[in-house]
This record gives sequence, structure tokens and C-alpha cells, in this order.
Amino acid sequence: MEKRIGVFVCHCGMNIAGTVAVEEVVEAVKDYPGVVHAENYIYMCSDPGQDLVRRIIREKNLNGVVMSNCSPLMHEKTFRNVVSKEGLNPYLLEIANIREDVSWPHEHEKELATKKAITMVKMAIDKLKRNIELTPMVVPLHKRALVIGGGISGITSALEIANAGYDVILVEKQPYIGGHAAQLAGTFPTLDRVPCLMAPKIAEAMSHPRVKVYTSAEVSEVSGYVGNFNVTIRIKPTYVDEGKCNSCGVCFEKCPVSCASDFDRGLSERKAIYATPPETVSQKVLIDPEQCLHMNGDECRACEEVCPTKAIDFSQEESTAEETVGAIVVATGYDLWEKKNIPEYELDPDVVDGLQFERILSPSGPTRGELRRPSDGKVPKQVVFISCCGSRDPEHGFTYCSRVCCMYIAKQALLYRKAVPDGQVYVFYMDIRSDSKGYEEFVKSAVEEQGILYLRGRVSKVFRDEEKIMVWGSDTLSGKSVEIAADMVVMATAMTPSKGAIELARKLNVTVDSLGFLTEAHPKLRPVETLTTGIYLAGTSQWPRDIPDTISSSNGAVSKVLSLFSRKELLHEPTVAWPDEEVCSGCGLCAAICAYNAIEIDPVKKVAVVNEAVCESCGACVATCPSGAMRHKNWNARQFMDMIDIATGAYV
Amino acid sequence: MERIGVFVCHCKLMASIDTQRVVDAISQTPGVAHVAAHEDLCLAPGMERMKEAISEHKLDGVVVTSCSPVLHDAVVRDAITSAGLEPHQMELVDVRSHNGVQEITEKAIESIEKAIEQLKEHRPLVQTRVPITKKVLVIGGGIAGIRTSLDIADGGYPVILVERTHSIGGHMIQYSETFPTLDCPQCIETPLMTDTGQHPNITILAHSEIEEVSGRVGEFKVKVRRKAAYVDWDKCNGCLMCTEKCPPRVLSEYNRDLDLPKRQAHRRAIWVPHAQAVPMRPIIDKEHCLHFTKGKCGVCQDTCPNKAIDFDQQDSFVDIEVGAIVVATGFELMPKSHIKEYDLDPDILEGIEFERILCPAGPTAGKVIRPSDGKEPQTVVFVSCCGSRDPEHGVPYCSRVCCMYLVKMALLYKHVVHHGQAFIFYIDIRTTGKGYEEFVQRAVEEDGVLYIRGKVSRIFRDGDKLKIWGSDTLSGKRIDMDADLVVLGMAMLPAPGAQEIADKLGIELDQNGFMTELHPKLRPLETSVPGIYLAGTCQGPKDIQDSVAQGGGAASKVLALFAQDEVILEEAATG
Repeated sequence: MEKRIGVFVCHCGMNIAGTVAVEEVVEAVKDYPGVVHAENYIYMCSDPGQDLVRRIIREKNLNGVVMSNCSPLMHEKTFRNVVSKEGLNPYLLEIANIREDVSWPHEHEKELATKKAITMVKMAIDKLKRNIELTPMVVPLHKRALVIGGGISGITSALEIANAGYDVILVEKQPYIGGHAAQLAGTFPTLDRVPCLMAPKIAEAMSHPRVKVYTSAEVSEVSGYVGNFNVTIRIKPTYVDEGKCNSCGVCFEKCPVSCASDFDRGLSERKAIYATPPETVSQKVLIDPEQCLHMNGDECRACEEVCPTKAIDFSQEESTAEETVGAIVVATGYDLWEKKNIPEYELDPDVVDGLQFERILSPSGPTRGELRRPSDGKVPKQVVFISCCGSRDPEHGFTYCSRVCCMYIAKQALLYRKAVPDGQVYVFYMDIRSDSKGYEEFVKSAVEEQGILYLRGRVSKVFRDEEKIMVWGSDTLSGKSVEIAADMVVMATAMTPSKGAIELARKLNVTVDSLGFLTEAHPKLRPVETLTTGIYLAGTSQWPRDIPDTISSSNGAVSKVLSLFSRKELLHEPTVAWPDEEVCSGCGLCAAICAYNAIEIDPVKKVAVVNEAVCESCGACVATCPSGAMRHKNWNARQFMDMIDIATGAYV
Repeated sequence: MERIGVFVCHCKLMASIDTQRVVDAISQTPGVAHVAAHEDLCLAPGMERMKEAISEHKLDGVVVTSCSPVLHDAVVRDAITSAGLEPHQMELVDVRSHNGVQEITEKAIESIEKAIEQLKEHRPLVQTRVPITKKVLVIGGGIAGIRTSLDIADGGYPVILVERTHSIGGHMIQYSETFPTLDCPQCIETPLMTDTGQHPNITILAHSEIEEVSGRVGEFKVKVRRKAAYVDWDKCNGCLMCTEKCPPRVLSEYNRDLDLPKRQAHRRAIWVPHAQAVPMRPIIDKEHCLHFTKGKCGVCQDTCPNKAIDFDQQDSFVDIEVGAIVVATGFELMPKSHIKEYDLDPDILEGIEFERILCPAGPTAGKVIRPSDGKEPQTVVFVSCCGSRDPEHGVPYCSRVCCMYLVKMALLYKHVVHHGQAFIFYIDIRTTGKGYEEFVQRAVEEDGVLYIRGKVSRIFRDGDKLKIWGSDTLSGKRIDMDADLVVLGMAMLPAPGAQEIADKLGIELDQNGFMTELHPKLRPLETSVPGIYLAGTCQGPKDIQDSVAQGGGAASKVLALFAQDEVILEEAATG
């Protein structure tokens, strides 16, 4: 068929036209073979620009369009819509990116820029000549969601999706849901008791008919793609028959093994058989297999012997569950950086981290809300808080700010003063970061009404001196060094991604930064999406943030899931790989290289088969195929060669 | 009700209340059959004990003291209904809010007694089922409103987006580049604007305002005023020939009324804000149009190929019915004149004014000049917290974005004027978002931006220069320096008209004029009116990331509501 291609060169205001001589580009391609029309305009993406393209398609009866403007990430969708409206197949559109690829990097070499722009437009024209008409594929959509992580972010996400009428699978690696939020004593700036906030949500999630909760569980395998993820969940046994156990607690008394409680961050002891903490509502009884004597070869069966309902079951084994879901929300949360990472601050029972101090402040914590220091149970009268332990410290810790410490320190200081009205609090800080609604006022009230002393400076050394913990630091405002003999020290250690985040990210095929925080598709405009369609981010898995921001981001992720589920069908890009069965020898190299597991070798025909719905059009198989059987729709070898001819021709 | 049970929660936050005295006092109250105090009443064991007490003492009414009724209503309600009572047979009383009040125990007893009296008045609730009109109104077409609209429209429901100005895009489209990625809004926001304009589920009513709101969740009735544009937008095709011929040159709101040399930042009397406006439709500014002021000119009318100019156009009204409303009315900056210590001077700019000067698509095409004489400024001083964190003269809160946009502008300035010097006065550097801290480090280490910790006490003109008096709290010295240009990080205020919109919608504002969420911690997107949600800076200062995330969040609330076919509302029976 005769090629009737239109070329449209955008000025993008001065973004392109300031560097590239757009008229010269038009002049250079208007008589190029196959081109029947070339024109430039100030903003092709504007309504009049789009109308211009549509009018020319009609008037000149175009059967191909080359837009020469910004990155296809910006406006490919726009112009595909535009050409479709005139009845042209959207895959008969090519974009020559002369902004990000030309005008911006070559701002100071205008002649070269124009020459390069002309070359790129010609490459797009020649590629377009061999494009075929394609139609997006329709793939099935399972309207159920998986939420990974049962902290406040995961619970919020699960409940919102469930309340919108879709089934949700909630997977939590701890034996309870509630996350770190359930460990807190109170929240800023409202000073709500945490059980008041969390208990209703936990209870609702546990009993919601549309939420299936797996605790002590981890996602072990994920395959598939948006609309059709197949997930394998590994569930650890509790060794207690939930149906029989009545939580009487006799077993705890008899169990001979005491160990540190994770929930109280080592500040209290529990037995090897124990109940999940009351803050997490459920009060489920389970055995810790690492601590249990019986599970480690001993003959002890103390719990089994005393259990009145015969609920102990040492024979329980790990089980797996398979679920098919259409979308995944990752809400894996954070951990605190360990105190020992800062060698200048001595490891001491009275030097605690932020979550430990939350437990000490908590009415249901190890001291039942009595404010006592761990070493000797005395009431601490001088407490020093140290901000930025590991945060904002690229040499020893991390470059970033952990975002919540300034506020939780102020909150803890206030709660401490409530418990110990004659106590004195010092806070070492670099900058006070209290930048949300009501936060500034909160810190101000801590300083003005509670007499909390803020010292701007860093702490160089923390060490024990008999009864006291000595804190050496500097006050950068007075320029003096400071020495405080404290009873207790609270270190606000940096927030880091939760353990296992990187591994999980690998299974999900989502990107992480060097630290393990999950990466969003675009920090500004696509903050809850990942680059893998159908997988969304919520809460601190992505970056340190506080509870309101976590809730907002969770709701943001939920809106993406609900938008997805509201569709009748899903469309998949048709520019996928396809094997020429006549040529394929079934060697299987393509299947081995495919990162998406999209290729299988047909056992009967001995040829490669591409699962088009899974193929992400990366092209690895095409490059690998030794016989040239694997092709890429609209990116075939001839197209590449044509483009390379032009690209090299211009510079030879 | 004759057998009322009173359950007093004494958690640590109510430690200052003498619980025993409360129990003793209340047990004397007529009608009270049972009084008990529980630790952590709101947790499952507490609720279980309450249920047991209801059956044991055959209670026919329950008063529960708790911290915040907003959080506990549902839990207590579930508990009493599962114990066989009706929802109206309960009353929650917040005794924690009295913390800090003298005679706190007396006060608690008084509130509980009042609650008992109220409980006795309760009548059974009547349920009404309201069918949900599955259509949403979004008020405000900035980035938050755009995100909300797109997410709801992608969810398959019709959206009506009402925007006061004549293009969507909000403040974001005025900016030069955005932190920390340095993307330009002209590149990253316009695709969203175009999507919004072309989306089959979205109707944009630009140059329009909310006139009246009535009804309730599921069935709000809204009257929208479409302000006269004096241009028939149906006939207009956005060719903009009119704007080229129109004779008056006036200050442009889009360019923050900047008066630049050669009137570079001016617009005409018939105008569109910028070349990527959505919808691309002009309006006539009646105050400056020669036809309206002098009765003479008609150039636009003569030029328009589509005969779209209509000098007789009047405001018109559109009545719409929607099931939910999202408020995304955004912010405005505090006027510079508010700070008396700083002179009003053409070379003292606020943030958005300097954004326009830095913007490659702005009036100077990205050339950095100072407004007074068009010269390139060699020293630029940025001042943080102008009005923010200053309860005496301005507002008590932190405006959250200034630290980042000031350093961004300092960096962009240095990218244009390589040998120039940028100083930033600050109290605390607040850079808590992803990649923000690193951004500041880069500005300091690679671009040589200088930070001075301290406040600026006076700024005034001294010949060709601006004189800045301030202090450096780290060295403890006074500072007296000259600059060519000063940029003030003015406080973010609620958008003008937020009060009227809130009044019409029946939602609350906080003491600073921002819209109030139902609960700051757990229900940050909802208002006290069911079916009305918040997105973006109308609720409090936040940056683009957070506004976008929250815009999506508000959409999820609407999508969840629309997943049902009706809402069940409860009212006390009359009589």
C-alpha cells in the first residue's frame, strides 16, 4: 500500500523550538519518501494542536503519523487516541522524541541538535513504514486483592478494598496483625491511646467477611501479571489447635523456657508458648519453635500435659495456600535501625530506642505504664532524647531523614512528663521537623508548657558512669559543649525497610532503592504505583512516614486497585514477541532468558510459545534467538536495520 | 430507660480522673442500675465484660466514657447490639477532652450525668435507605482535584470538575520545575490535564463556582454558577487570534501580577492563562476590556472566525445531582504586605512570583531578571518562614513546602546564573520526603548554596541594592548584607473563599481556616459530613507528592461509597 505519512513537529513552547530549528526539520522531511505532509506547531498536545493532526489525517488521507515532540511517556497515549478518533490504527503512530533526547541534552549545540532531530524523525518515518496494525489483547481480571503486611497500612488497605465489595487476602508474617502501630503508647498530635485507634480496625479486619487473614505467613512465590497474579503463601504452624484452645493460659505458667518478648522489644519475658499481645485483639496462643524444648529435641511436654482442652499439637506442619488475585498492595512497613550500629553510644539497658520507650510508656507494656528504667526499675528523673541516630548521617548511617522522629520524641517527652511531672527532658536535635497539621503547635506546647529543653546539636558519646548515663554533646547555638548526667537515654534510630523487603521485591518484580525501600513509578505523579502494573505501594514500605500520611498513601493505593477492578476487562500492549514456528528449533534459549516467564517450549511441536499476556516486550528473547525465529511485533530486525542505516548515514 | 449501666474507661490518659469518686457519685444517680470502671474498656476484653454486665443486670441503656466518640462509636455499638440492645440505647461521653481542666473529676461526673439525661431522651432510630447517585463533584482543578477526578473517572463513574479560574492545572502549572526530580510541570502535569480534558467520564466546568449545596450523601443537589466569559465556548475553537489583536495590556493573574520590563508578563483583556490551558478557551476581563470600559472597541469580535464573542453573555446556572463531593480548593500564599518589617519593593518577590521568572515557559523564557530594571541579579536572598511558625505576626503552623521550594529555586537560579550567589535564611531545614535530604545536600555541596540559620528582621531598599538585616544564630552575630533580589517563603493559607465553600457544604474549618478532617490520624480524608471528602492543600499545607497521594485516597473513598447501591441513614424517630 502506498505510504501516506504525516509528520508533526512540536515546538513545546521554547522547550524544543529554543534549540531545534523546527522549520528546518519540517523542510528536511517534507519531501522524504512516504511523507505527504509535514508541519510544525507551538503545542501539538493542546486542543488546537490535536485538532490540527486530526484535520490533516482526514484531508490528506494519512495512513501513518509521526509525532515529533516529547517523550512517548508523556503523550504517546494522547496521540494514539487522536489518530484512533480518525479511524487510524493507533499502532500506526510513531513518536520521535526530540525534546528529552535532543533539545534538552543539546541545549548549547543548536546546529547539531537540529541535525539530530532531523535524523530521529527520519528514523521514526522508516520504522513506521514497516509497522503493522495491532489490537491490544484482552486479558482476564480477577477482582480480588492481595495485601502484604498487616500493619496499619495493610489493615487500612484491606478494609477499604473489602468495604468496596471485593475480596481481600491479607498476609502478615507476625502471628498477629497490627504492626508497629500496635506497639505505640500514644499518637501525635492528638495523644490518642493507640488501642483506641487500632483495636477497632484490627477487630474489623479479623472479622470482615471479605477479608481472609493469614498470620505467621509469608508470600513465597508470585507469578502471573496484572489481573492474574498467582500467589503461594507459606503459613507457619502455631502447634496449637485454635479450635480447641480457650486461651486459659495454664500452659504459659508451666512452660519452663523464658525468652525475650519481641513485642516488648526485649523489655519483658515471655514463655516459649505464649499468647499474642492484647493490643492486637486476637489473643492467639502459639509455640515459638526456636525456643520450645520439645521442638529442639528435648522430652519436655509440659504444655501438652497441662492443657485442659488437649489443644497442643506438636505434629502441625507448615502449610501453603494458593491464591489468585488481580492486584497486590505491598505494605511491608519498616524496622528500626539497631542501636548497636552507633558505636559511640554504649549498649546499655537504660539506653533504649524509640519503640522500646513506647513500650515503657504504654499502659499495657512491660511496666504496666509505670515509668521505670529497665536496669533497676527506678523512676528516671532526667531523660535525654537523641534525634537523627543514623538518619541524616551519610557517613555512618543513611542520608535520608526518617520523618517521624522529631514528632514522636516530642510526644514521648510529653507522655513522660505526664507520668513523671517533676522529671526533666532534654532533646538533642539538628532541625526540628514538625511540618504537618497541628505539629508545630504540638512541639511548641511541649517546650512552653512542659518545659522540655531542646538543644541544637549532636551527641558525641553516651556511656555509663555508675548510676548515671553520661551524655556528651554540643550546643551549636551557644557554641558550648554540654554534659548531662541522665537516668535514661532514648535514641531515635533511623527507620529502615522491614527485613526481607528486598527479597519480596524480587519475587514481585518491583524495584527497590539501594536500601530496600520500594520504588514508586514516579515520585511526583505516580507515588503509589510501581513499574509493575497491578502492584501498588502503601505506607512505610516506600519511605518513612507517619500514620496520617500512611493512611493517605494506603487509600491512594486502594483507589488504584478499585479503579482497576471497576474495569470490565484488561488490555495488554500487543507489541509482544512471537516465534516463527517454521524457523524455531525449540532450543529453549528464549525461555531461559525471559525474565517474566512468558515463554514455554511446546512439548509436542517443539517450538517456543509466548504467553502474550505476560510478555512485557523487553526483547531479550529476540536478541537471544540464534535462528532469528523470535520476532518482536513492530520492532522487527528490518525496522532496526533501517533505523540504524539512517542514524549512521547522517554521521558517516 | 430505667436500668442504665455506666461504664467508665480508665486508661492512662485519664489518669488525672479519680475513677472511684466518679463511680461512687454516678451510682447515686436516678435510673442508674450498674456502674463499673474498666481498664482499656475499648479493647475486646472490656467490651466482653460490658456485654456480660448488660445481660446480668438487665440493662436497657448504656453510657460509656471514652476518649473520642468518633473512634469508638462503631465498637460500642457492635457490642451493645450483640448483647441485644438497640443502637439508640447508648451514649458516648468524652471525658478525656477535659484533661487539664481544674476539678477534672467533678467535670467528668457532670458530663456523665448529662449523658444519662440525654440517653433517657433517645428514641429508636429509623433507617432510611437513600439510593446513591453514582456521580461525583470535585471542587477545584489543581493537581489534587485532577488526580481525584482521573481516579474516579477511571473507576467508571462520571465526574463533574468545577474550577474557579478558566483552566485547570492549579498552582502547579505556574511552577518552573518541581522538587526533587526537577521535572517541569509543563511536561508532567499537562498530560494529566489533557487526560482530564479528554476523559469521557469527566465534565470540566471551568470559570465556575459553587452557588448552593443541599441534600445529603447519595443525593447532593448542587447549583453551579458559570460565570460569564463573554465568549461562547461552544463556538470558540481555541485558535486565540482574538488574544493577539486585543489592544489593552494588563497585569496577568497567571503571572502573579508581575510588572516586568517591556510588559513581558502582561496579558490582554481577552486571554487564556497559558498555551497549554485546558479547556483552551478565553475569557474577557470586563474591567479592562475597552468595549466594556469605553464602549468603543470590538476587535476580538471582528477577528473571531467563529463569531464566538458575546458581550451580552450573562452568568448562567447548572443544577447537578451527585452522590459524593470531593473538596480540593487548594491554597493561596499570604500577601507580602503582611510582613511590615519587609518593604514592599518590586525586587522582593514571593515564591510563586519567582517561579514565574524561573520558568522556561514563563514570561522571561527562563532568563532570570529582577523586575525593577531587568538586570540579572548577582545575589539572591531567600527567607524561610515568612509568616509561618510565627503565631504573633502570622500563623502558628509550618507551611511544609517552603524549605524544599526555596532550595529548589536557589538551585535553579544557580543553574542559570552560574557565578551568582544564593543565601537561604532558615529556622530549621525541613526536608523529610523521599530524596529531599539528598537534594539539599546537592544544593549545598555542588551548587554552593549558602544556608544561614536565623531570622531576617528588616529588608529595605538602599539605592540599587536591597539591604537585609538579620541574625546568624549559630555564630551569634548580626548580619547586614546587600542583595539584588529577595524571595520570601510566604506562609500557605487556605484558598480565598474556602470559608464560603465550607459554609455551603456544612463542613468545619480549623482555627487557621483549613478544612477539618474527621480524625487527623485515622480518617484524614473524610469530613464530618458523610459523602464529603478532602484532597490536597485545602486540608493543610502539603507538597505535590502528598497532594497526589491524598487525591487518590479521596477517590478511593468515593469508589468505595459507589460500590454500594444505597446508603442507610439513621435518624431518631419523631414523637
